[in-house]
Amino acid sequence: MSIIEVNGLQKEFLIAKRETGFMGALRSLVKREFIKKEAVKDISFTIEKGEMVGYIGPNGAGKSTTIKMLTGILVPSAGNVLVNGIIPYENRQENAKNIGVVFGQRTQLWWDLPTIESFELLKAIYRVPDQRYKENMDIFKEILGLDEFLNTPVRQLSLGQRMRADIGASLLHDPPILFLDEPTIGLDVVAKEKMRTFIQEINRERNVTVILTTHDMEDIEKLCKRMVLIDHGQKVYDGEILAVKERFGKMRTLVVDLEEAQKPLYVSGGEICKQEGNRRWIRFNRDEISASELITQISQTHNITDLTVEEPDIESIISRIYQEGFTEPQFV
Amino acid sequence: MAVAKYIGLYFKLVSAGIRAQLQYRFAFVMRIVGMVTAYTGTAVTMWVMLYQFQTLGDWNFYEMLFLFALSILSWGFCIILFFHFRSLDTYILNGTFDRFLVRPINPFFHFMAMKFDVASFGQFLFSIIAFVWVSLELQIDWSIGKILFLLAVIVGGVLIQGGLLVIISAFAFWTTKSEQFYWVAMYPARNLTYYPLVIYPKFIQWVTAFVIPFGFVNYFPTTVILEKETPFFPDYIGYFSPVVGVIFFVISYLIWMLGLRRYKSTGS
Repeated sequence: MSIIEVNGLQKEFLIAKRETGFMGALRSLVKREFIKKEAVKDISFTIEKGEMVGYIGPNGAGKSTTIKMLTGILVPSAGNVLVNGIIPYENRQENAKNIGVVFGQRTQLWWDLPTIESFELLKAIYRVPDQRYKENMDIFKEILGLDEFLNTPVRQLSLGQRMRADIGASLLHDPPILFLDEPTIGLDVVAKEKMRTFIQEINRERNVTVILTTHDMEDIEKLCKRMVLIDHGQKVYDGEILAVKERFGKMRTLVVDLEEAQKPLYVSGGEICKQEGNRRWIRFNRDEISASELITQISQTHNITDLTVEEPDIESIISRIYQEGFTEPQFV
Repeated sequence: MAVAKYIGLYFKLVSAGIRAQLQYRFAFVMRIVGMVTAYTGTAVTMWVMLYQFQTLGDWNFYEMLFLFALSILSWGFCIILFFHFRSLDTYILNGTFDRFLVRPINPFFHFMAMKFDVASFGQFLFSIIAFVWVSLELQIDWSIGKILFLLAVIVGGVLIQGGLLVIISAFAFWTTKSEQFYWVAMYPARNLTYYPLVIYPKFIQWVTAFVIPFGFVNYFPTTVILEKETPFFPDYIGYFSPVVGVIFFVISYLIWMLGLRRYKSTGS
């Protein structure tokens, strides 16, 4: 049995229609009209134990709504959810024991108290045995570097420190599943890197299943093998990140600086997609023509002063999937 | 044992809440000073008024002060236990309420224990001084029975007022903001309790007895303790105060839980 099973999940909200202007506002005081918004239309997936899955989509795609249904905060309008064998919304408190949740934008720690106190309160709330608490705290101190700020009130922590504390706090009760909602938002490069290393370590050593929503494509690229891509409440893609890169990653861009830029440049097998001063961007498919063939071709008519070949990153790939849709490859 | 577990946890959470509040010492002290000043002001108003009229609906100044002090005393305990509910709408608005739903304990309990508003020393200081003074002036004979009755009445009063705070907070599950209901319901209801109900129109007396039962917070029990008459109501009605408190609070808890169910299916 998979650790998370989601089948035909739907969620609709009724949103009060706001009319514009003063008269409109008065009118909506008396008679309110509601618009039905389908935040999640029809989503199904399963996640196996120990997997680390990136759950990605643009703002308003239904990411948070899905996570809220998996954590038991929201009741679905239709469809089934099973998290570690439990229906979250029917058995919220039981489900809470199996999951750790980190909302990147909001801390769950006690704002005005020294950080260590939040850990002790959570120990009491989750009834973590003394021995286990001590072991976990030792591990967190080591890999998250909690020692340096355990006695500082949470409100005085830097964002990076707070996120580390939040992640530690969410893992205190050894949940088999961890939900991370934007865990690296607002962090600087070093803190992001630290956070990723920690998530990887937790996943590897404790076999914790991780579901990660993020806007940071580097997070996904570095952490997850698999991603579920959603848009407008529907699944657009579900599979290996590598497969996406393979399929959409065949396009390369050759950037060349030319000496005699005023002389027109013609290339066959590629397409000039941008030009700026002496610089030309040429897009090509790596299966049809190689970069060296292209360079040879150009150097016959122009002197090249500098060149680079750009590989597409997952971010530009995803934005292309959103624009063009993902059609299954005809042969794999 | 589930209950023992919750009691232990309650004290842990509450002590954390107190320590968090003591981080802001100046605000803490100023609130106490402010409360004592405000209540003394109301008491002086009563005195001035009764200096002119001698009695108000058969109540003299000391009897009224007793009534007022009882209201303030149970309000003091109510603030400690339930005042956090007044900020429920802010939690819902900011989305921070979700944290109470991803933990393995009852969210009502968790929310209630999150903050323990110890700044009600002002209420205690005022009401205890008033009680002592009135007891001396009226020569109230504090038998064991009367003291026990007073304690039960305070529990009842805390549950009634706390219950209304809980119901008002629950509106936030439907309307997102509930602050205005505080001013529409809680504030006037509490102000009614400062004076003997007998001076109000019959309709208001009836509402405060059976709809929003604030009459049981102080007026009805005071008539029992001071052996006064209660026109329109049986004289023994004050004895029901603790029972009314329990029933009202249970109802308010159920309303809150109903609201929570709605929140979970709308997630505004």
